[in-house]
Amino acid sequence: MKLYQGLYLIKESFKTLGRHKGIMFLSIVIMSLTLLVLAVFLLVTDNVLSALERTRQELSVYAYIEEGLTQNDIEQQYKKLLAMKEVESIVFISKAEAMTEFEEEFGEGSAILESLESNPLPASFRIALKDGYKEQSNIRLFAEQVTAVSGIENVDYGKEFLDRFSLMARVFLYVDMILGFIVVLSSVFIISNTVRLTILSRQKSIEILKLVGATNRFITTPFVLEGAFQGGLASLVSLALLALIYLVVVKMLPDIAFLDVQTSVLYVLTCIVLGSLGSFAALRRFLRL
Amino acid sequence: MEARHVIGMYHLSKRYEDRTVLTDVNLQVANGEFVFLVGPSGAGKSTLLRMIYMNESPTQGQVVVGSFVSSNMKRRQIPYLRRKIGVVFQDFKLLEDRDVFENVAIAMRVTGETNYEIKRRVMQVLTQVGLYHKRYDRPVKLSGGEQQRVAIARAVVNSPEILLADEPTGNLDPDVTAEILQLLFRINSSGTAVLMATHNHALVKNFGQRILHLRDGVIEEDRRVGPRRFSRERLDEISMTAGKSIWSDDGRADR
Ligand SMILES: Nc1ncnc2c1ncn2[C@@H]1O[C@H](COP(=O)(O)OP(=O)(O)OP(=O)(O)O)[C@@H](O)[C@H]1O
Ligand SMILES: [Mg+2]
Repeated sequence: MKLYQGLYLIKESFKTLGRHKGIMFLSIVIMSLTLLVLAVFLLVTDNVLSALERTRQELSVYAYIEEGLTQNDIEQQYKKLLAMKEVESIVFISKAEAMTEFEEEFGEGSAILESLESNPLPASFRIALKDGYKEQSNIRLFAEQVTAVSGIENVDYGKEFLDRFSLMARVFLYVDMILGFIVVLSSVFIISNTVRLTILSRQKSIEILKLVGATNRFITTPFVLEGAFQGGLASLVSLALLALIYLVVVKMLPDIAFLDVQTSVLYVLTCIVLGSLGSFAALRRFLRL
Repeated sequence: MEARHVIGMYHLSKRYEDRTVLTDVNLQVANGEFVFLVGPSGAGKSTLLRMIYMNESPTQGQVVVGSFVSSNMKRRQIPYLRRKIGVVFQDFKLLEDRDVFENVAIAMRVTGETNYEIKRRVMQVLTQVGLYHKRYDRPVKLSGGEQQRVAIARAVVNSPEILLADEPTGNLDPDVTAEILQLLFRINSSGTAVLMATHNHALVKNFGQRILHLRDGVIEEDRRVGPRRFSRERLDEISMTAGKSIWSDDGRADR
């Protein structure tokens, strides 16, 4: 495309937006509402994913130490465990510390404990795992290795919880992906049909352009630019609406976070692409490209 | 003069489902020639013109326009053919949301001309059709005759070898009709081949130009008494006699 044509088409797209204010306004309203669904979807996904991630981060493996080991034995165990490739860090929890933690959790002077003469809680290692080893299968394998270390009585990593958690996370991911696909697809569909309105209102102009020898690119470029502009503007409007909804919801669920800057920017860019793709798709059908 | 054909149709037929609209049309238009295409409503005149700017493709046979041949045209080549042909219609087909200048300029915008060249050429053509002073008006503010002159200006702004006119005076008063015809003659006298379709035989029979009679999709008669194109002298003669001999009182040519 030649420079003069490019400049003309850019100018032309903005003039057209001005010439057809009514239909442009209508399109942007419809797009904003459509995109709001996408934005809500993103917000929910984002929050659930970060909640899942937080839980995963907090996962640690407890290795309980047999009674009656010497300081030296425990140091040997510590070194052995630290040398394992899965291990990020280890905290040693002595019998006394275990007691304190227990008391903190269940209240000082718990009746059950007071009735005992000696401390029944074993000393333990709390092992944090490296990022790549926090999957269910890795942890199971790791737990077996730790159990094999001499002087480790047993290993606890919340197997039941982890199993349920992993399943939940996986189900959520699948459902979320399918939902996301549907939401994006219907956005494109609705946007594309909205653009069709615009195209129909300019059918005569398109016919004239074809008559004087405009290439398909010449005809489609202003529509695609307008689609991009509308998509961008509609995404900003939908973000503003999302913020309003968020302000209401956060009063009830204070843990919810708004989309971060990076996600928001990505979202706006995606909407710009959706807008131009919607335009292009609608024109393709119309021009029989 | 006789050597080169700007339009050729060879054993061309066009069918829509069960209807045959054009049957074995053979036709050559020479470079710079003026041709009237006459026939009653439904004869296939518009269809024949659509074959030339390749808005439709033949069911059989082929059309040759300059270096473009219908049988091996690709869809994306069509715009480049259209830039070499000006087309004018009964309903003008102007862009309602743009002024006269832009309506003419658009035919050059699509070719990627510089703004300077566009301005220079559009002003020149608008002056030739007598609408320079209305260049910033919207089409709705113009009379039918003026709108048709804008359409003609747009059709010739790229200096095409061929101008197609489909019933260009169909919506116009008799005196405006005479004006538009003379404008087409003038364009022809400067070397552009013109093919004008009309159902009004009386309007065009007295100019001595080639007349093709089309009936039910068949060329029944192809007749010419005068020269192939309008000369300047002939133009002067016609405009001198406007409203008198060739032109009847109501603007129709009738002698
Ligand atoms: N797209 C189409 N599908 C089916 N039939 C068509 C189509 N286009 C034209 N026709 C038919 O072809 C015949 C010729 O049409 P065309 O428009 O070429 O006639 P015309 O000579 O230009 O008539 P008019 O003087 O009324 O403009 C008509 O009977 C019309 O119904
Ligand atoms: Mg017709």
